[in-house]
Amino acid sequence: MDPIRSIYEDDPDMLEIVREFAAELPGRAESLENHLRDGDLEELQRLAHQLKGAGGGYGFTAVTEVAASLEQALKEGADESVVKDSAAALCETLRAVVVPAED
Amino acid sequence: MNPEVPNPTRVLVIDDTVSIHKLIVARLRPEGLEVTAELDGQSGLERAITDVPDLILLDIGLPRVDGFEVCRQLKEHAATRNIPIIFLTGDTDTESKVRGLDLGAVDYVTKPFDEVELRARVRAALRTKRLQDMLEQQSFLDGLTGLWNRAYLDRRLEAELNVSERYGRPLTVVMADVDNFKRINDTHGHLFGDIVLQGIAESLSASARRSDIVARYGGEEFGVLLTGTNLKSAIYVSERLRASTESRLYEARNEVVRVTASFGVACTEDVEGELSPEAMLQAADLALYASKEAGRNCVHLFRRGELVRIPGAF
Repeated sequence: MDPIRSIYEDDPDMLEIVREFAAELPGRAESLENHLRDGDLEELQRLAHQLKGAGGGYGFTAVTEVAASLEQALKEGADESVVKDSAAALCETLRAVVVPAED
Repeated sequence: MNPEVPNPTRVLVIDDTVSIHKLIVARLRPEGLEVTAELDGQSGLERAITDVPDLILLDIGLPRVDGFEVCRQLKEHAATRNIPIIFLTGDTDTESKVRGLDLGAVDYVTKPFDEVELRARVRAALRTKRLQDMLEQQSFLDGLTGLWNRAYLDRRLEAELNVSERYGRPLTVVMADVDNFKRINDTHGHLFGDIVLQGIAESLSASARRSDIVARYGGEEFGVLLTGTNLKSAIYVSERLRASTESRLYEARNEVVRVTASFGVACTEDVEGELSPEAMLQAADLALYASKEAGRNCVHLFRRGELVRIPGAF
């Protein structure tokens, strides 16, 4: 997967918080995997919902899009395989995010 | 707080995600707003009631108490009823937007939000709020003296008691009643009586501190809220209020008239039982009557049911 960069990383008002947010994403991917393994679908959905709401705001439109698909799948009670694929796609996306360099 | 002192515009964000808090703080920075944030509905409600912000950005999907319920409770509470609420929603379905608006929210923003849109919606809500505040302030001012009126004092007393309870900060209520006001009116006429009321209003305002709230409570009765003030400090302030009232002279047709007032003081630290606005006002009133009985132009305070004249006792 190609590296994902924030569209706001050149905005001086945003750089610091984009760095913080991006740096947390690998940890979020791990949480997603843990919730999936534990079968905690409620937590999985909550996390997907949060990533959907925050991703685009930090300039990562792809995070919002992929997180929205996972949330939708969980809401609809989709098959386990669909949820798994969707979660895997989200994790892959989160891990492709690049933490912007400090100023 | 005096009517003419501007305060910074404050926004409260209630959202269960810290990354959303940070994002909103960064995106609202160009607007010069003071932004605070809470992570769940219950803390958000408590914060709104004690801080009374100018605008609330409220997430719908909050843990335990959800955004709709927070909105409903904010609209029920007198102190927070008029704070505009913009819902932050992660969902795009019409149903939740309509439900939020029907509960009294002024607007909604869909997450992830566009920064320009967020700022525009915040500005629009604050514009309406400012106009509403201006109208409301007019309705809370006393026409004759320019002081706050009774409706305002009652409202602030309720709000300040909430703050006092939450932060353990003392609050003192001072009630004052002009001595022999009927005789002044009968002797010198009602126009002169009005001048006296205006003069007393000026004396009280001048000797109160910036954080004190001075109001005309009724005919010749005044009320002063001393926020964050314990009984010990309140004694000095109320004695200063009494002395400055007494020191002002009024010119009637053929004579110079001195007017005095009697004062009653009650502090949250010395009123027992539930600290309702009624209980505080009643305690201050009892102390005020004790001042009248003692010969007027003096200050009594309510101390755990006892009425004590000051400065004598201290």
